[in-house]
Formats: sequence, structure tokens, C-alpha cells
Amino acid sequence: MDTGLTAAESRELDQRLQKRQVKEFMNLFGNLVDNCFTACVDDFTSKALSGRENGCISRCVMKSMSTQTRLGERFGELNAAMSNELSNKNI
Amino acid sequence: MSFLGFGKPQPTSAERISAVENELKVVAEMHSRMVKICTLKCIDKTYREGELAKGESVCLDRCAAKFFESHQKISEQLQKETAARGGGMGF
Repeated sequence: MDTGLTAAESRELDQRLQKRQVKEFMNLFGNLVDNCFTACVDDFTSKALSGRENGCISRCVMKSMSTQTRLGERFGELNAAMSNELSNKNI
Repeated sequence: MSFLGFGKPQPTSAERISAVENELKVVAEMHSRMVKICTLKCIDKTYREGELAKGESVCLDRCAAKFFESHQKISEQLQKETAARGGGMGF
């Protein structure tokens, strides 16, 4: 991506992006917990997760990560197409 | 991204870095929103399986495409309506 930044500015940007990536990973983790807990856990007759709940949570994590991957691919394609369209309009 | 001088003061280094960072931030936020919404709309909440079913995969692909199309349509319409209503949005 041609951002028009100098080498030093690029380095600064990279540092910021790294920090942002860590933050985003933590967000992803949080959403995963919220989502899978809400979907899988609703039996409060016990303090410990039941076998059913454990299995559900595992499957939820697996499926969520597959979803993330697939949507990441689609997003990349669609975003690139949209950017192309926009820059063609501006010509 | 280009900055057309036209006699205005040149953007500072910090401004240039922030501009790129913000652009990436906007894209990342859109991605995150799309994942959340399409998961809600397409993924079976009982998590009986740990893998994406064929129907779910297809739904995700279509959801992503429609999300982008909606984004563009709303963007265009919002611009039109905002201009028609006198440019301001009551801010």
C-alpha cells in the first residue's frame, strides 16, 4: 500500500499497528467468551461447567475461528473490489 | 492518499501517520462489525458441530457481499439526503 510516508514515519505507523493488533486480539477474545458463554451456558444448578457445556464451548470456539477466517477472506476480496471501484470513479 | 497543497499548510508528520492509521482503523472496525453481524445471522447458536456446515459457509459469503453492498448504498443515499436537506445534519 502506497501511503506516501517516509521510512521513519512508516516505522512509527508499524509500531502503532502492532499495538492496535494486540488490542484487537483482546477484543476478539472477549467477544468469543461473551458469544460462546451466552450460547452454551444456561444451567446454573451447578458451579462447574457440565460435559455438554464444555463440548458446546469447544465447538463454538472452533466454529468461530473458522467463521473469522472465512469472513476475513471475503472481506479482503470485497474491500479490494470496493477500493478499485472508488478509485475508478475518481479517475 | 494524496494531499493537494493549494497553498494550505502541509500536513505534519504526525498528521500523516494518523491519517493512515485512521484509515486502517475504519477498515478494521467495518471488518469486526461484519463478523459480529454475519455470525448472528448465519451461525446456528446450538453449536452442535465444531465445523462450518455448507449452508452456513454459503450464508457467510452472501452475508459479506450484501453487507458491502448495503454499506455502499447507504453511503450514497446518506450523502444525497444530507445534501438535499441543506448539508448539515443538525450538529
